[in-house]
Amino acid sequence: MEFQEVVGTRRSIRFFDPDRPVEQEKIQKILEAMLRASCAVNAHWLKAVVVKRDDIPLEELEKMKNPVQANVIALAKVHIYLYADLSVVNRVKGARLKQLFDVGVMAASHGWSHKFVDEVVYPQILKPMTESAGYSVAAAFDCGVAACQGLLMAFDLGLGACLTAFNAPIVNKITKVPEEWLPLYSLNVGYSLEGKVAGGQRPRPDFAEQYFLNSFGNSFPRDPKVVKELQDSKLIQQQAPVEGRREQVRQLARQLGLPE
Amino acid sequence: MSVLQRPIEQYETVATWRDGLSKQWGGDPLAEEPEKLTALAEFCEFVGEEPDPIVHKCFRVRKSDGETVISSKWRTIYADKIKEFRTRAGGNMEARRTAAAVQSFLIHNGVMIQV
Repeated sequence: MEFQEVVGTRRSIRFFDPDRPVEQEKIQKILEAMLRASCAVNAHWLKAVVVKRDDIPLEELEKMKNPVQANVIALAKVHIYLYADLSVVNRVKGARLKQLFDVGVMAASHGWSHKFVDEVVYPQILKPMTESAGYSVAAAFDCGVAACQGLLMAFDLGLGACLTAFNAPIVNKITKVPEEWLPLYSLNVGYSLEGKVAGGQRPRPDFAEQYFLNSFGNSFPRDPKVVKELQDSKLIQQQAPVEGRREQVRQLARQLGLPE
Repeated sequence: MSVLQRPIEQYETVATWRDGLSKQWGGDPLAEEPEKLTALAEFCEFVGEEPDPIVHKCFRVRKSDGETVISSKWRTIYADKIKEFRTRAGGNMEARRTAAAVQSFLIHNGVMIQV
């Protein structure tokens, strides 16, 4: 698929084929996409633990379920548990920034030097940042950017996926992550039973309510010609409700033994 | 002796379930698929409670502001009971569907529950 169609095709998939395995190379590609994400100060807070559902003892799997997330846990073949490693900034102490300088990505043209990183950026900006209340929010933002790349990659590979919260105290016993890792979301991956349309694109707020030009209150002008182009490129697709969706959901619920 | 003190359709929460199913799927799914009611009746016998108290226990009044909120404790208890009910019924797809009918009853009464 072309990029714009991938973006337009992504949906939160909730009905996975519980028996169809996900190829190992596709999981790797999802992770590789995450690793290529934009990230402030090249810190790369995002860590992921891939858990294959069938590798988890049944008893443990049951414990991971809770009344609001049991279905996805049971149906998705692969759970990618996403965490923010909040210790990374004080561990690498600007080394990843200097690496960018060394490989010619950042340069003196924009004020960068090893000395600036060692004497200003790390001690005066990054280290204090890690002690501030907003630190985890900043880290989580960048993790979200990376997770989104993995999410889109899943759809490009013909998989379905959805992000859900997870019960960290229980899941962490399986993933055995360091205590300082902040639990974020699980990217649940599998083959979708919902088809490509999957109920259509979800309802969204008005464009004008969300985006502004120069200042709040001045909505960014939405050009119908651009909308048409995006329809042609399949970034904008058929919107929910799609005819036959209710019947599809009912049929899937019956097929999987879920409530109606 | 049955725990049900009257025909199951006469319970308020069962009427709510019927209404919810009808609005969602059209027709009268409980009349069309009476095995759903049978499943609920069996579950009631299994836990020794009538339908209305099962739903009511899944909610509590929050002391701080008097709001009615979900009782995580009771929802978890009933989720575990449904799992047990499903296992006792054989754990196969038919058992899953039977247990799913009980979930459906709770869901249409506002108790979001997955097992």
